[in-house]
Amino acid sequence: METNSLFQVYFNSVFKTKEEVFSFLSEIEGNDFYKKREIINLLKEREKVGSTLIAEHVVMPHVQSSLINKSQIVFIHLKKPIKDWDYHSKNVRLVIGILLKENENVQIKKSIASFIRALASEDFVSRLLNSREKEDFTKKILKPLEE
Amino acid sequence: MMKIVGVAACTVGIAHTYIAQEKLETAGKKRGHEIQIETQGTIGVENELTQKQIDEADIVILAVDVKIAGRERFEGKRIIQVSTEIAVKSPNKLIEKAEQVVNAQK
Repeated sequence: METNSLFQVYFNSVFKTKEEVFSFLSEIEGNDFYKKREIINLLKEREKVGSTLIAEHVVMPHVQSSLINKSQIVFIHLKKPIKDWDYHSKNVRLVIGILLKENENVQIKKSIASFIRALASEDFVSRLLNSREKEDFTKKILKPLEE
Repeated sequence: MMKIVGVAACTVGIAHTYIAQEKLETAGKKRGHEIQIETQGTIGVENELTQKQIDEADIVILAVDVKIAGRERFEGKRIIQVSTEIAVKSPNKLIEKAEQVVNAQK
């Protein structure tokens, strides 16, 4: 399925702070200094507007930029929770980062939006949070897209 | 049973817009209401409301972080406006609030 290439899964990841996660997300497409700086700045700007917490223990930092070459949804399942993501978000266990290419085609955007709608289900989110293995987690992510 | 319409729109237009829509629609239906939330996101306008739906609605919920297109469509309606963050975090409470507002004016 073409949409599968939209996903990247990092399981049992070790990050202690939001800043470490942002830095990781900014390097997904390589180590270009300006690109990294731009992506981190945009992620921080979005956080200023309001919390990106979408469910208990789950945050969804996201960014749209012309510097992004390929749109992706990046799952970071944390080995240990990040205790203080921000004032509202404590003990974050799952980060779902969205990197959106500027002027992305509508079909890709629709796939991303459809997946995001699935995240409105508490059951679905809880199944993701409680996955113990990467393979199981990946299967669960893809399920709503197959339905 | 109430008729609820609304709009969800966030800054980047990819994340909270769609979660807010889905959560509000689910919460509204769970409480037996007829509900449709238009999204104004990166894809453009989806799930677009008709003027008839708006005219017939008991209340409008705007879960928005940005200026929305076509706000004038809701002129004269009872409107609850919140950030998308509130709609994502407490959709059930928001629907209860809408019920209170409508019931208080009956």
